Amino acid sequence: MRLRAPSRAAASLSAVLLATTACTTAGGGGQDGLSVVTTTEILADLVRNVGGDRVRVDSLVPPGGDPHSYEPTPADAKKVAAADVTFTNHLLLEEQRLIKAIDANAREGTPNVSLAEASETYGAHVIPLVENVGLDVLWLGLRVRGDGKQRGATRSSEVRLTATAVEGPGKVVTYLTESLGKPVVYFDSGDGLSDVDSTTLPPAAHTHLNWAFTAQGTYRLTLRASLLNGGGGEVALGEGTFTFAVGVDPNGIAGTVLDEGHTDLTVDLDTGELYTYNDRAGGTTQEVVPASDAVIEVPNKAITTVPDDPRFAFLGGAGASVHQLPQAVLGKHVHGEIDPHLWQDVRNGRAYAELIRDTLRTADPDGAADYDRNARDYLARLDELDAQVRGIVAAVPRERRHLVTTHDGFGYFASAYEMTVAGFVVPNPAQEPSVEDVRKLTETIRNLEVPAVFMEPNLAQRGSVLTQVAHDQGVQVCLLYGDSFDERTRNYADMMRHNAEEIARCLA
Amino acid sequence: MPRLIRAVLAAVAALLLVQPAAHAEAPVVIADGHVDLGPRLVDGRWTLQLRDDTGEGPVWREPADVVLQVADAARTTVPDDPAYAFLGAPGGEVWVLPQVQDQQVVWPGWNTQDPSIAEVVGREVDWRLHGVEGPGRFELFLTGNFGAPETIFSSARPYPQETGVEAGTHVHGNWVFTAPGAYSLDVEMATADGRGDRAVLKVHVGPGDPATAFPTAEPTAPPSGATGARPADGLPWAWIALGGVLVAVAAAALVVRSRRAARRTDV
Repeated sequence: MRLRAPSRAAASLSAVLLATTACTTAGGGGQDGLSVVTTTEILADLVRNVGGDRVRVDSLVPPGGDPHSYEPTPADAKKVAAADVTFTNHLLLEEQRLIKAIDANAREGTPNVSLAEASETYGAHVIPLVENVGLDVLWLGLRVRGDGKQRGATRSSEVRLTATAVEGPGKVVTYLTESLGKPVVYFDSGDGLSDVDSTTLPPAAHTHLNWAFTAQGTYRLTLRASLLNGGGGEVALGEGTFTFAVGVDPNGIAGTVLDEGHTDLTVDLDTGELYTYNDRAGGTTQEVVPASDAVIEVPNKAITTVPDDPRFAFLGGAGASVHQLPQAVLGKHVHGEIDPHLWQDVRNGRAYAELIRDTLRTADPDGAADYDRNARDYLARLDELDAQVRGIVAAVPRERRHLVTTHDGFGYFASAYEMTVAGFVVPNPAQEPSVEDVRKLTETIRNLEVPAVFMEPNLAQRGSVLTQVAHDQGVQVCLLYGDSFDERTRNYADMMRHNAEEIARCLA
Repeated sequence: MPRLIRAVLAAVAALLLVQPAAHAEAPVVIADGHVDLGPRLVDGRWTLQLRDDTGEGPVWREPADVVLQVADAARTTVPDDPAYAFLGAPGGEVWVLPQVQDQQVVWPGWNTQDPSIAEVVGREVDWRLHGVEGPGRFELFLTGNFGAPETIFSSARPYPQETGVEAGTHVHGNWVFTAPGAYSLDVEMATADGRGDRAVLKVHVGPGDPATAFPTAEPTAPPSGATGARPADGLPWAWIALGGVLVAVAAAALVVRSRRAARRTDV
């Protein structure tokens, strides 16, 4: 987990320009119209649609530029200082110096709106920023529920849980890394299953483990539970077989897919059953899914490398790759930060448009009726667009809806239109991929048998890794618009329509 | 609560008939079983409390009413592993309450799952550490896949420290103390839109009496004008002085019992 990055000092350039730029017009709606500056072309297009003829809009990041890396020029600071309204998206999208240039140069009293967070009150759906994708997976534990009084259980009883069978292409190892780094193996199918592949839990126990799988494919793990009351007696409880989809699409397996939040493989002392007990992300209620119906997803983002440490040799040789659900998932998100790419969900684009309308109305009250009318028309078009995108993506079979992209810019698209972000080269385009990143990407493409990966036009230079991996794996490279337009696609609606159609064309 | 202490409290409560006191409670000492720090709405107010699962059903308690006891079973030594050098020199003594439950010691975690906060909590709760008083260092960390520790709070770092707890989650970590004695952890949980509550979490490590190791936050004498905080009429004050500890213990037991009844919630 990481705390919010401390602010760096504002670029001195901006400060100098602030001092030398005279404040001219006050208020908007004059002869030249309201002057609006945005950071990106996408935001500029939204403003044009809502503002119509009453506004002049300038985007600081030029056509095809990457907001993650664009650095402001002296001319940009000048534009900001002359603007009646400024719109940014969110600090994590735009290069920090760009945000600083705007904050330092925007005239006092003029609206300076950061759309991503402010649009939440307009119903925008916001996703926390993932810091470690390997932790952004199901958190799987073991639990004992019920008091088992009718079976003679007391607080000093114990529940024995034994792994009796594993079917699958590789071995399954569940283990706990103790507080000070020592691993303790619970079940290991690598040397066959016997009585040593068992653990005892107290009543009301709840614990978390690492679940490692040494090859991709579908696994079925059978656990048997019994109750140990004082005096040596062992009372048989039940048995349950749990299915794991490791690196493969879980939608290809009949059942209820468990892929987020918190799940425990649970022994119920009262009914004797084994089932999964689930907290969906962000919820305050739990649900039971029977063992036979549960499909536990261990996605390719859970691929990790066995360390060069003899204590972990039971997982395989150092450097071997395993799929592993980790014992602790805290730290998957950056505290207080959100994924900035909200507009990839058209309903969020709608929330932006409403916030833009209200901001323009405040800055230029004379134009209120115009802004209302334009916004009404535009929102209706966005509603149509949303339905259209949804319909196009829905036509792609569920088990083929995997996105592999250059950077982590499509979480909102995936969430809104029921796709999965299967992988990306690096989270942020400003980062360089490691050898491990490339290997994980390759395995993801191979395991899921994706027919295509997606490049963003503005990241073509940085996309060489993706192109190379795609070439090696013999899959197509298609194109999705992420953070900016190009010469062919010049507006938000076209961009979203293109993305949906491209996904359908390349994945169907 | 350990069975012995619970039994003593119950016995004393049964022997003495006094009205429940709102103040001067002896703390509830929790030495084993599960507890969680977490926010809830109490009478509509965002309140930081401790969920105590050590009895028959869950009870939410005020942090001021509780001492978490770190039994000597938690004592271990720092491994000879550079990843754990932040706990001290290899072989040095430390007291560890582990991330995963050990039946012999208390198992403290934190949760944002109380249904009362569901509507107001937002995406995550800000959890802050404003300070630690105690004879040694305090470290709270998570053990990851291959044993790489990830620090959440450390008394070796400047205050305040902040981390996030996602809405609707329940998490455990490793609580480490580097010397025996009484620790006060000044903690706060707050929302992005300004709700917050700050409390002192009392932890007693190693030998000694956890119940008396902390200065009482409130005066033992009932505040003037308070009704119901006084013992029954006719009891001589000298008796109170002699039996003050017993009265306080009894009062604590009664208050705790009534809260137990009032606050019992479903898991």
